[in-house]
Amino acid sequence: MITGKRILIVDDAATVRMYHRTILEKAGLEVDEAINGIEALEKALETGPYDLYLVDVNMPKLDGYGFLRELRMQDIPQVPAIMVSTEAQERDRLMAFEAGANYYLVKPIKPDELLSYCKLLLGKGKRQ
Amino acid sequence: MHESTISNGDFLKFREFFYRKTGIIFSDSKRYFVDKRLVQRMKETGHDSFRSYFSFMRFQASGEELQRLTNIMTVNETYFFREEYQFRSLVESMLPEIVKNKEKGSTIKIWSIPSSSGEEPYSIALYLLEYWSGINNWDVKLVASDIDTEILRKAQEGIYSGRSVQNLDSRILRKYFTKLPNGDWRISEDLRQSVEFTSVNLNEPGSTRFYRNFDIIFCRNLLIYFDDLSRRRSAEVFYGALNPGGFICLGHSESMSRISSLFKVRKFPDSIVYQKLEAI
Amino acid sequence: MGFIKNKEKHEIQYKKRKNERNLAGLLEQLKDKDPETRCWAARDLASYPESVSSLASVLAEETHLNVREAILTSLTLIGGSEAVSELVKFLRSDDASIRNDVIEVMKSMPDAVAPIMSDLLTDADSDVRIFAIDILESLRHPHVEKWLIDVILDDNHVNVCANAVNLLGEIGTDDALAPLKSLKEKFKSEPYIKFAVDMAVNKIQGN
Repeated sequence: MITGKRILIVDDAATVRMYHRTILEKAGLEVDEAINGIEALEKALETGPYDLYLVDVNMPKLDGYGFLRELRMQDIPQVPAIMVSTEAQERDRLMAFEAGANYYLVKPIKPDELLSYCKLLLGKGKRQ
Repeated sequence: MHESTISNGDFLKFREFFYRKTGIIFSDSKRYFVDKRLVQRMKETGHDSFRSYFSFMRFQASGEELQRLTNIMTVNETYFFREEYQFRSLVESMLPEIVKNKEKGSTIKIWSIPSSSGEEPYSIALYLLEYWSGINNWDVKLVASDIDTEILRKAQEGIYSGRSVQNLDSRILRKYFTKLPNGDWRISEDLRQSVEFTSVNLNEPGSTRFYRNFDIIFCRNLLIYFDDLSRRRSAEVFYGALNPGGFICLGHSESMSRISSLFKVRKFPDSIVYQKLEAI
Repeated sequence: MGFIKNKEKHEIQYKKRKNERNLAGLLEQLKDKDPETRCWAARDLASYPESVSSLASVLAEETHLNVREAILTSLTLIGGSEAVSELVKFLRSDDASIRNDVIEVMKSMPDAVAPIMSDLLTDADSDVRIFAIDILESLRHPHVEKWLIDVILDDNHVNVCANAVNLLGEIGTDDALAPLKSLKEKFKSEPYIKFAVDMAVNKIQGN
């Protein structure tokens, strides 16, 4: 049951944020947005806690890896994160896990795929 | 001259752009507020369509129009104890951390920039005197800077309207101000001597070269009006001006997310501030 | 205790800058083992266009963020084709944060970037093409729309086209409408493309 769960979408592209928002709101999730890792960190601290993060890699000021590393150091409840990127190489996938992501998905993401992963991670509760 | 209107698509386009640049997001309820000002600037710059105005503003090399637009889209009033929650953070969160790591006998240095007409630096001074017990144990140097020498002169004079002091309770007003015949209030000589007012241009490297070893910087509601490159440079100046562990506070609608990656985000009970860490 | 008054003579401890500030001295300090020295040198070198290659080579190895930021800002202030060609190399870096930083500063160098833009947009590496479109966001140039339209007509990488669509929604004109609609055909199986194109078309048509 994922209705009412809160997700923070972190991506510098407004269209991508809107696309993910549309999919997730339809599934009953409460969606907040941030344009880069610094804004995301601020939101996580100020208007958190969130239940899940959807994080792009390439963003100005603080990228996805940097954000996740910072996030995992904060004294707040740690929850799952899906990292999203245009790159498909293995090294990026490993970096994502090392930074603290649970999954790494390659853009563009199909709605069903996104929802499956979200449901999977939201069902888990605390980060494994 | 026909009435220009802003379509829904125009508003969304503008909102997205403005949010990207400043971090400020206008909800749909702010439609009237935003449209009115866009139309105003369109008229004043001689553009009869939103499209041509938007293109002009978006790509202008100097960034002047975006600056002017940001100015009218944001509230710029200065008054005593504006954004008071940050002064609370100063006293309850930032200063305790600073003094924990500070050598006894060393000076605590605070920089207020822009000083504007002085409400901010004097507010800091008042707040410390009234609410920080540490003021009796530490030397505090308060520096306040602005690019506008005329406003610095006004700040040094320390004369304020009733409107400017309306957030101060009467006890503080009586203790630190004198009422003038014309109804204005003058802050005490002692407080006027407690702030060093200096002329500084953040965009001119030579101007800030000797500003070092600060523990706290207040730079509120200034960087939002700068272009991206000037914001970066200013952040670098502030980073160099701070001691390791020092803090910088921005205006309530500002965020380092639009300015620089140099600082660590710190959340305190009353506010979010930014910190220079030891080595990164 | 309390506030240090203006009337008092107070020696504020300014950290002395004993170092030379001419080009030779600064270039040496740029390689100093103290990051703060490197940082100040990097900042001062903004006045020396001849230092571009030195700044770039230090940037490649620099681990301290404040030094890196100072170098990037100085390269941006110096501007010009040499600075841009040095910066462009970092678009291929494995380090996401330097890549993203470079994209950001290149956005503040529209005049210097414009001449190489069409090469970047046709680079063999799809990521470089994506980053080139990011840089286009603030580029004032008569060809921006045409470049974006060319991308969506000729490029076969879905994320390159997606990035172009986003920007066209913001700055595109009626010229972009037909190419945008054709993109939906090219990527029939991608829901994101349909979504993004529909959004862009709505924005251009001013709905």
